[in-house]
Amino acid sequence: MTDKQWELLKRVVNGETISPLPVGFIVDCPWLPNWYGCSILDYFTNDELWLSANLKAMNDFPDVMFLPGFWSEYGMCTEPSAFGARCSFPANEFPHAHRVISSADEINSVEVPNPATDGLLPFVLNRLKLAQPKIEAAGHKIRFAVARGPLNIASYLMGSTELLTTMMMEPDKVHTFMKTITTFLKNWLNLQRETFPSIDGILLLDDIIGFLGEDEFRTFGLPYFKELFDPSVQIRFLHNDAPCSTSAPLLPKMNVNLFNMGFDVSLKNLKEITHNKVTLLGNLPPRDVLAKGDAIDIKEKTINMLATLEDKSRIIVSCGGGMPPGVTSESINLFVKTVQG
Amino acid sequence: MSELIEKIGICVERGKVNKASPFPPDMKGLDGADEYTKLAIEAKTSADAILQACNDGMQRVGEKFGKNLVFVPELLMAAKAMHAVMAHLKPFFQSGTVKTKGTFILGTVAGDLHDIGKNLVSMVIEGNGWKVIDLGVDVKAPRFIQKISENPGCVVGLSALLTTTIANMANTIKEIKTTSPTTKVIVGGAPLTAGSAQEMGADGYARDPQAAVALLNSIGVS
Repeated sequence: MTDKQWELLKRVVNGETISPLPVGFIVDCPWLPNWYGCSILDYFTNDELWLSANLKAMNDFPDVMFLPGFWSEYGMCTEPSAFGARCSFPANEFPHAHRVISSADEINSVEVPNPATDGLLPFVLNRLKLAQPKIEAAGHKIRFAVARGPLNIASYLMGSTELLTTMMMEPDKVHTFMKTITTFLKNWLNLQRETFPSIDGILLLDDIIGFLGEDEFRTFGLPYFKELFDPSVQIRFLHNDAPCSTSAPLLPKMNVNLFNMGFDVSLKNLKEITHNKVTLLGNLPPRDVLAKGDAIDIKEKTINMLATLEDKSRIIVSCGGGMPPGVTSESINLFVKTVQG
Repeated sequence: MSELIEKIGICVERGKVNKASPFPPDMKGLDGADEYTKLAIEAKTSADAILQACNDGMQRVGEKFGKNLVFVPELLMAAKAMHAVMAHLKPFFQSGTVKTKGTFILGTVAGDLHDIGKNLVSMVIEGNGWKVIDLGVDVKAPRFIQKISENPGCVVGLSALLTTTIANMANTIKEIKTTSPTTKVIVGGAPLTAGSAQEMGADGYARDPQAAVALLNSIGVS
């Protein structure tokens, strides 16, 4: 993000009503390599391609905030790899990590990884370090420390069904697990912040939150997210595109001040649930409208969405969730133009 | 006997698997679905009646889920309790005393390792009297096709949670329909809608396990 975009983001998050409304997208793999015209594997393994694809997106859409911006990652493999997960990288598909443990009995054997040396994390960091001069020469800075959230990582390490049933059957073991993962995540986020002093934002991505009831989330989620979203950081950004009506009222307690949600909840609704204390990044249906809709669809649905908002503070117009595969430049430009009136 | 049946239904609804299970906290130390089913079978209760109790319990917890009164962990525990009942009923299915409604082949599509939805659907559909072949997660199209050829007349269920794997779901349907055009394929998962399911050529879309049961019973029973 440029200094100008970063300042704009902070103004929105601090409650200032911006006109025209700002537009932002979570942009990552697989949309970016597909849009740029390279394979997913090339995108992950060729640092030059990764940088060129990111720079091209930012140059082609200067009115769009790309969040987190220059996201160095290996999809769902990023953090689980540090715990020793086997990682699969099909040639042009999104990579995925395999389980590390098969039952709750093995939770005590899971050690806190060292983010400076373990799994793919040194590669993530070094790619950013090598690219930093070119990123800054292009007028951007590295602004966010990024990680998958603790529930998401736990679900990858032991399987989501096992994680959720263990919460019910052996809650103490899940707390042990969550503490181990949270300790690791704090170290990982801190390492990113130490390496790049320009970082003043944290992005956590966690859709397992959406499967929990309020009691379970208060018990197994809230305390750990609160610990991770360090209030000394200016932008504390959560992505959860699974159901969020149960957890959204707790976003301020999690220290979250920017939220990207799923498409099944309206901005108006979320504004009410969060008492307008959290900036919302959304919420055009990503696949049915932004990726597959025609020009009339995109324009109409965007206008209708904005018309529902009486109070336009704390809104960054986007789609629900990250940018889905297949969205064309024309659709993005039309979306931006419609928002800008 | 009817008291045992009622208790089995309650254990399924509340997710009380067995005596050793601490969940739900207010039933800690009490017998669960496992123990009551054993007693019911010893008391010569018909397997059909036990199966119906399971379905009733799952129906009730499914309704609570639909009203946001319980959430996925509670639903998973209910399915786990039902699984404990089904373990006792397996011999009745094998002997033909209880007839299965058909065969349902289920898996999470290639590139997706999420199993919550798939497991819930698997357990609820099995409890509804279907033979379920669960292929697990990250299942590629050829594996579905192989299983379809081994189980003529089956219905296939595809699950996905990641937005990024929806394309794999569409490809899997296409490959299944190319090799086996009459096989019915139903889909479910957080990123899907009825519209997107139809667009990718699925024969049906279910937003939750109960809807999957209803859909399967309507399209799958020959």
